[in-house]
Amino acid sequence: MTAVTDKPVWRVIDTGVRRAAENIALNRALLEARQQGLAPCTLRFLAFEPSALLGFHQSAAQELNLDWCATQGVAIQRRITGGGAIYMDPDQMGWEIYADRDAVGSAQMEHIARRICEAAAGALRTLGVAAAYRPRNDIEVDGRKISGTGGAFDGDALMYQGTLLLRFDVERMLRVLNVPADKLADKALASARERVTSLEQLLGRLPQREHIQQALTRALAEAFGVEFHPGGLTDDEQRLYAQALQEIDHPDWVDLIHHPADERPTLEASRRFQGGTLRVRIAWDAQQRRIRQIWFSGDIFISPRRALIDLESVLRDTLGDRVEQQVLGFFADRNVDMLSLRPEDIVQLLHEAMDVQA
Amino acid sequence: MATVRGCNLPDDLYYNIDNNVWARREADGSLTVGMTAYACSLAGEIVSYTPKKAGKEIEQNKSVCTVESGKWVGPVKAPVTGEILATNPDVAAKPGTINADPYGSGWLVKMKPSNWDGDSAGLATGAAVATGFEAKMNGDGFAGC
Repeated sequence: MTAVTDKPVWRVIDTGVRRAAENIALNRALLEARQQGLAPCTLRFLAFEPSALLGFHQSAAQELNLDWCATQGVAIQRRITGGGAIYMDPDQMGWEIYADRDAVGSAQMEHIARRICEAAAGALRTLGVAAAYRPRNDIEVDGRKISGTGGAFDGDALMYQGTLLLRFDVERMLRVLNVPADKLADKALASARERVTSLEQLLGRLPQREHIQQALTRALAEAFGVEFHPGGLTDDEQRLYAQALQEIDHPDWVDLIHHPADERPTLEASRRFQGGTLRVRIAWDAQQRRIRQIWFSGDIFISPRRALIDLESVLRDTLGDRVEQQVLGFFADRNVDMLSLRPEDIVQLLHEAMDVQA
Repeated sequence: MATVRGCNLPDDLYYNIDNNVWARREADGSLTVGMTAYACSLAGEIVSYTPKKAGKEIEQNKSVCTVESGKWVGPVKAPVTGEILATNPDVAAKPGTINADPYGSGWLVKMKPSNWDGDSAGLATGAAVATGFEAKMNGDGFAGC
């Protein structure tokens, strides 16, 4: 299928529902093929059999409830992209861009992520949800995450991937992932629902998969000034895929990085203020002294409520000794009503949890 | 010492400009390898570093370590073929050291080159550093460090 056009032509493919190992091996193969000039720039849609996916630098023992995954038949895999562990099943749609730095108009990783996420958020808006990009890697609707993203690069070639929550089982996510949620199950569920949403929940119905794919394809075509034509995998990609699958569909790949669970403890602190109680739980990287994930909870008055969830997003991957600067910077840029609670109080609470002298 | 668009690129080092890596030849013939200040600027703060193990033989342009910043993961590629002699425990403990001191304490691996004279012929050094990186930054549309 060819059309007369001045625009560069990119390929769009849908590889269907696959095992996690196959999907990750395809990530590697398509990125390598692009880097070697053996395949065109591509938009790929994908879906997963139930799986827990680690970020490239994460350890399964730290991030996942391994026993639960084993009894429930949830596959464990390691992504080639960065970021945190996620749960995937056929109720989530994966989307990925394979391109080069010049094709996406920047060599700076942060700019590339922004550009792709803003286009994807625009696509979701055409489906009727008020989606927006939340730096650095999320797409959110009213403060609740609907799509998480991450990337991999090899020379000038890059792959940027995102998830889209079509329908979401929050309880299952909490059972698979070792997140610093509240200890009480009902509070954990309630606070997870404050942070995550899905297309079905927002729209009251689930649009057809093809409809969603068309919206994403149109938005990305417009953002990058290209035209998408459907295609399949090239022979070179099939060859690279077979090679990649041998390495990735193996326990050595999943266990490539192993850190004991006690090097990533959950720290917590809570304090009563005039406007209520504020609690914090932190998934703490004890080796690097870095916040990996953070959850605020409690009945503290804060308006808008999403400010605390946005602050969590800003504090992810922050070094302990930069927490004060990040928190004060965050509130300096925003108009947040917290009654008598001051940003400095939040800093102190975080320092208490991290056992750092304020 | 060369500075290109605000990025420090010492001209006594050897660079693979496409891969944005540098190598320093030490007195004992070994190499110290790292990311350029330009590569650090493109990446943003590096939060994870996983090197290949000491003793491993790495071909030129294959990965000596993997780094992560802002959820992006990618390899840093060997400027020449050789054996990994050492990895950097300080960077493992504090990967941001790469950004803070890319040509000093933020080194990534030490290597024993197997054919320095042959492999280094394609690396840029001296006056070629500034012109090579200026062209790369121009191609990348990069404003400055």
